[in-house]
Amino acid sequence: MKKDTTPFFVGYLKPAKKLRSFLLAVGVGLALLLTTFGIVIGGTQDDPGYGSFRFDYGPQTVSGVVEMLPYPILHVTDGNERVPAGETLMLTAGGKTGVAQRAARFDGKKVKATGVVLERGALNMLQLRGGKRGLDAIDGEEATAPTPEPLGKWKLAGEICDGKCLAGAMRPGRGLAHKACAALCLIGDIPAVFVSTKPVEGADFLMVLGKDGEALPKAAYDYIAQYISVEGDITRHGNLLVFTIDPGTIEVLE
Amino acid sequence: MSVKYVPVQWNKNKWYYNFFMVAGVAGFLFLFLYVSPQLLSHEKSINPQVHNARAFGACAFLMLSIILCIGPLARLDKRFLPLLYNRRHFGVMTAFVALTHFGYILDWYFAFSKSSKYETLIFSNTSYGQIVGFPFEAFGLIALVSLLILATTSHDFWLKFLTAPVWKRIHYLIYVAYISVAAHISLGILQDQQNHAFTAIFLVAALTVISLHVIAFLHERKSGDPKAQSDTDGWVRVCEASEIPEARAKIAVLPNGDRVAVFRMDNKLSAISNACAHQNGPLGEGKILRCLVTCPWHGFQYDVRSGRSPAPFTEIIPTYKIAVRDNVVLVDPNANPPGTYVEPVEVPA
Repeated sequence: MKKDTTPFFVGYLKPAKKLRSFLLAVGVGLALLLTTFGIVIGGTQDDPGYGSFRFDYGPQTVSGVVEMLPYPILHVTDGNERVPAGETLMLTAGGKTGVAQRAARFDGKKVKATGVVLERGALNMLQLRGGKRGLDAIDGEEATAPTPEPLGKWKLAGEICDGKCLAGAMRPGRGLAHKACAALCLIGDIPAVFVSTKPVEGADFLMVLGKDGEALPKAAYDYIAQYISVEGDITRHGNLLVFTIDPGTIEVLE
Repeated sequence: MSVKYVPVQWNKNKWYYNFFMVAGVAGFLFLFLYVSPQLLSHEKSINPQVHNARAFGACAFLMLSIILCIGPLARLDKRFLPLLYNRRHFGVMTAFVALTHFGYILDWYFAFSKSSKYETLIFSNTSYGQIVGFPFEAFGLIALVSLLILATTSHDFWLKFLTAPVWKRIHYLIYVAYISVAAHISLGILQDQQNHAFTAIFLVAALTVISLHVIAFLHERKSGDPKAQSDTDGWVRVCEASEIPEARAKIAVLPNGDRVAVFRMDNKLSAISNACAHQNGPLGEGKILRCLVTCPWHGFQYDVRSGRSPAPFTEIIPTYKIAVRDNVVLVDPNANPPGTYVEPVEVPA
């Protein structure tokens, strides 16, 4: 008859001595392995970019002219140290909601706008306070928006995303992992932005519209956050470039 | 074993098991959440919500990978069986870690809009017709729901209520969860990585899980339980009596696919079903302790002669008629009703 000396483990009994050292080594090894992965994975995350809410500036109040593209932008005429005159700001509300409806009645009019600035290089946005405290007409003062300057036809490579997250409301605020959030922001009328792989007239970011000047067409939603090439016309509005794209020309790039 | 349901039947080994498990998870989360930000030289830090979501998500994936390695490891080397013993606690903890990941994602990427965050989870990305840009969140949801079902039904109450075969089938959802998690990660975060450290860890973990399963499958095919050979009068031959060590068993596959375990106790042989009444654990890989067959998975015990658990426990398993002829162990492949006493057959030492 054979003899079996294999150590046998029963959960509610003390393990055999031979097994105890093995189990101790496995337990310590697994705990150390998990711990090591924590620092390796956590310490190798990608840079989310330099955009952010500038709460450190405090609420900023500026005056300017509203232009509906149909996403609302503000051409600053009376600025301050943080937001100088001549700046062009995209406008948004808190959360994942734009201010197109709220700003529409001020189209072409001079307004006072108050809110928190979001900055990412040449991309500037103002998250307006609620109600009239955030946006109100300045009666009796006239001002006109700068005349748009056509810059011709372009084919650009890059990514469509929402202007708010990209500007720093979320870090990271672009990429495929952020696609659903970007789509949700765009559904909420937050201005759409094209992040170009090569600067256009010095700008990496362009507001993006449909070919007839409408908000980002639904046909482009499937391509949000993907690396694509697309053709369209670029126009300068103040110091903001606007890219009106034809979704039919979108090509997914590898 | 218990005669009444309690939330957890604690014992020292479970405390040790949970200590190492919690130490690993706490170490992972602590270093990821509080130490790694200091190593990153980003001009602007990653949002805490995203950072937290990544920490809990990565942790859940690694925990799930470890859980799935335990089964094949235990099949390849019996010394890993103790890791199987309290695996349910590991699974429940994984479900909680995954749920935390889901919470951070839901309250960040899908919140702050005019719609409910549960609705936005469904409609914000509907690009189901493409691979790149596919709503990978759907795979995460499938995995989470699977893990929650597994965690909810992990208690012995559900095991008894659903019966072991049904319960085991439900718990194959662990593979659905893992495949979904792999798809969730592959179509999500991996598409955005510039630094590929996590990609490498993900691939190593997933390949380890797959390899161990393949190796364990091949090992079992090569050295698995032998088929019982037909003999006269409908009986089948299991092995030679001398092959069965004292207090241990030989397992054989019967013509109907069931497995029989023939045990030797005090140089007497008895045959019982190989499937434990608790989780269908392989009783034949167990040992006789204090005159009782003890299951190697969770320590359920049976009288080898009657297939009955000792009072006050009530578990019963089928027994088989047994005979020894010319040192060859023969078994009647028609199982007796569970709990039927069969007189052991004496054999030479």
